[in-house]
Amino acid sequence: MTGYLIRRVGQAILVVFGVVLLTFLLSHLYPANAAARAALGPKANAQQIAQFNHENHYDLPIYHQFWIYAWNIVRHGYLGYSYKYNQSVRSLIDERIPKTLVLIGLSTVFALLVAIPLGILQVVRRNKIEDYTLTAVSFVGYAMPAFLLGELLILWFAIDLHVFEFEAPQSNSTWGILADPRGWILPVFSLSAITIAGFSRYMRSSMMEALTEDYVRTARAKGASASRVLFRHALRNALIPIITLLGLTLPAIVGGAIITETVFNYPGMGLLTTNAATQNDVPLLIGTTFIAAIATVVGNLVADLLYAVVDPRVRYA
Amino acid sequence: MSVGSGKRSARGLAALGALAIVVLALAACGGSGSGGPNGNTTSSGTAVKGGTAYISEGTQATVNWIFPFASLQDFSTTNFQGFMNLMYRPLYWFGKGATPDINYSLSLANPPKYSNGGKTITITMKPYKWSNGETVTAQDVIFWMNMLKVEKLNWAGYAAGTIPDDISTITTSGNTITIKLNTNANSNWYTYNELSQITPMPMAWDVTSAGQSPQACGKADYQSVTVKTSGSTVTPVSAAAQSCAAVYTYLTGQAKKLSSYATNPLWQVVDGPWRLSQFDTSGRLTMVPNPKYSGPVKPKLAKFVELPFTSDSAEFNALAAGKLDVGGLPASEITSNATTSGTCGLKPGANNVRLSSNFNLVTGGTWQANYFPLNFNSNGDGGQAGKIFKQLYFRQAFQTLVDQPALIQHVFKGYGVPTYGPVPVCPTNNFASAEESLGNPYTYNVAKAKQLLQSNGWTIKPGGTDTCSNAAKCGVPAGTPLSFNLQYVSGSPTEDQLMQAEKSSWAQVGIHITTTTGTFDTVLSNAVPCKACSWEFANWGGGWIFAPDYYPSGEDLFQTGASSNSGSYSDPKMDSLIKGTTVGNASLSQYEVYGAKEIPVIWQPIELGATEINKKLQGVTPLNALTNINPENWYFTK
Repeated sequence: MTGYLIRRVGQAILVVFGVVLLTFLLSHLYPANAAARAALGPKANAQQIAQFNHENHYDLPIYHQFWIYAWNIVRHGYLGYSYKYNQSVRSLIDERIPKTLVLIGLSTVFALLVAIPLGILQVVRRNKIEDYTLTAVSFVGYAMPAFLLGELLILWFAIDLHVFEFEAPQSNSTWGILADPRGWILPVFSLSAITIAGFSRYMRSSMMEALTEDYVRTARAKGASASRVLFRHALRNALIPIITLLGLTLPAIVGGAIITETVFNYPGMGLLTTNAATQNDVPLLIGTTFIAAIATVVGNLVADLLYAVVDPRVRYA
Repeated sequence: MSVGSGKRSARGLAALGALAIVVLALAACGGSGSGGPNGNTTSSGTAVKGGTAYISEGTQATVNWIFPFASLQDFSTTNFQGFMNLMYRPLYWFGKGATPDINYSLSLANPPKYSNGGKTITITMKPYKWSNGETVTAQDVIFWMNMLKVEKLNWAGYAAGTIPDDISTITTSGNTITIKLNTNANSNWYTYNELSQITPMPMAWDVTSAGQSPQACGKADYQSVTVKTSGSTVTPVSAAAQSCAAVYTYLTGQAKKLSSYATNPLWQVVDGPWRLSQFDTSGRLTMVPNPKYSGPVKPKLAKFVELPFTSDSAEFNALAAGKLDVGGLPASEITSNATTSGTCGLKPGANNVRLSSNFNLVTGGTWQANYFPLNFNSNGDGGQAGKIFKQLYFRQAFQTLVDQPALIQHVFKGYGVPTYGPVPVCPTNNFASAEESLGNPYTYNVAKAKQLLQSNGWTIKPGGTDTCSNAAKCGVPAGTPLSFNLQYVSGSPTEDQLMQAEKSSWAQVGIHITTTTGTFDTVLSNAVPCKACSWEFANWGGGWIFAPDYYPSGEDLFQTGASSNSGSYSDPKMDSLIKGTTVGNASLSQYEVYGAKEIPVIWQPIELGATEINKKLQGVTPLNALTNINPENWYFTK
């Protein structure tokens, strides 16, 4: 297990390094003075552009720039400076990450709480009207673009019915956000709706597979009640693939958060990334990509490790 | 809370940003509105004191700088006109109602007096007070000038040869400042482009640490601040100059601490009608009245809140949900075309049904010339592009095919005004000459464009690519095709429509244009002056906004070698006309008429912002034509 862990962590570091390198190189495909122009605007003269480039090392060879960037990350945890926000990338990320974790955490919990019972219900009522209806709803949810769902929810529940707020809470603190459920319910629901659709489909198939296993047949033969078979024997085993799915879905949830945060004006990492991309804020874009890469890699790693924890049959060498 | 409850019902650099920033849209508005006859937004109702107005900072633009001595990267409409100018008044206030004139009644000083052939300027301060009880003095102006002398390379408005390089001496006597220049200056140009940059600074800012007593910069004599300039480096020499450098470093350091804006005692010393009470790093801010404001109009609102938005739809949702009092209406939500009367008269169409019951829709003109440059030194098109562009007949044919009125109606839904020359005709102003105001020298005419090309040796192939068949007439070798590349800014549906419509129009006479898109920064980075490079046309989507260079003279744009002369246009006559408007006594008329006819750039229509204003919020119109806002004029009605 220790060897496996070391290998996986090593792979994770390589993946993160690769993502940062790639993003860094891609961001330098812009014309020579694009970063200066992005910061200084159309009235900057050649002298001002040269001064900006010098102060930000843009006048150095690209490998030298990358070395400075990577060294600053490793040595100081410094991810650069955003001229669009006038703040260090690190401070921006530190401020936004908890908010995105709240959004992703709430929506994931909500998705699991809804998707698991739905999947079970579909198995129990397999090939009946409830199963067909939920399957149809799941497909609609699965196919629904996040931005469209978000806009429709705002239109119906915020603008027409005034039940919820049109945007997410704007508080600077995590508690401030949690204290305003009228603000976060729509973004959480919007982000989780698509996940619910996917999770419930997996849950349904996983439960159906579990119900065909020998241990379920044995339990039934021993006279266990239908509910006991379902919840004690089948469900616990059927949940194992969901854990893996959770890890694999993390990048999609993070991706979904980008759209959801933008639609709901939610001041998290997703919105920060969108702004960085649309405003050509290169240091910030590389920084948010770096964090997203770490989140994805860590999510997958944790999922793999949890898999071994919850399923004693799995052993890593 | 519902809209209108009075509680919660709610130096332009980046040309593209002009379309996105609602403050700019506000300022752009000429005061015509859908709410009443003749475009008034007045409504009957009893004025109430207090209440909170919620306004949008616009999309993709947030406040992120508080020190009014800013470098280019912090020099935005959002930071200055939408934020700092409300607290720290510039020496002269620009924008008088809907006209782009200087507003002496809101200025900290009386009109400047020019003497000695324009070489001496005398400025008398009005009796304004800082919020800490001190008087806004002539020395506060000198404080800013001293800092400029030492830190000119860090001042956004600095250009070599202009303020402070053109100043010989500055002296003060009581509340009077006397500035002696090295050479004569056109009084309009100097007031609108140079004095416009000054913001007096309080002596409370003359510190290098918190709670310190004033240092040697603020009180220093202008002449005693000495620097050594070597190439692009300015080194402080005297003790006063070194003090200015230290103060600058301290103040910029404090300005980078966004989370402390509302609590740092430095920033609470204001001479404007508002002071900051809340600020978060996302740019959301609250301002409350400065009870010691000594200007003519005191705030009536209890406070106002500026809100940042990340997208047009988020801002529209806020309006529809009744959470904003003033915000921009995205072009996609404009449901009815604006109607025009004359060149600048514009009446918004029916408002969006989701907003019409609570909001008035207003629009108007920005102080802007919209154009895209063509590269006179381009070696594209087989090395001939630049030579073709130097032919006036070609530029005339090309411009003749830009049907600005039709484009405004069909692409901008009527929310636009044309650009026919270097001086904006709209909003109606005192700078545009009668001749230019008469209209377009190159009205849309396909036959005329065809005739211009044919008579100059080109074989016309409508829908195809013209070729030169008579080198002597064309000015380029026979066989040269009229085929060019045009890069324009991506991400704007209206810019897409505009460019495709114009491309079709040019194709009618066989001018083949290949369009590509790039980000704003990419287009801007490609469109640089050069001696030989390949770009041909580059459209970053906004031309030029005249702020803080409010005087629409062309020294930055069309003078030979000017840094923002992207296409390397060079014409001795143009240079001479421009010089007459900056150091001579010439009016702008000769320059603007010549510029309109010479077509140094391809003139383009200007898309205007459409702004929604809560019907119960009064005093917002007429709106400042130069991007400033005056919430002290605003009040709610019952």
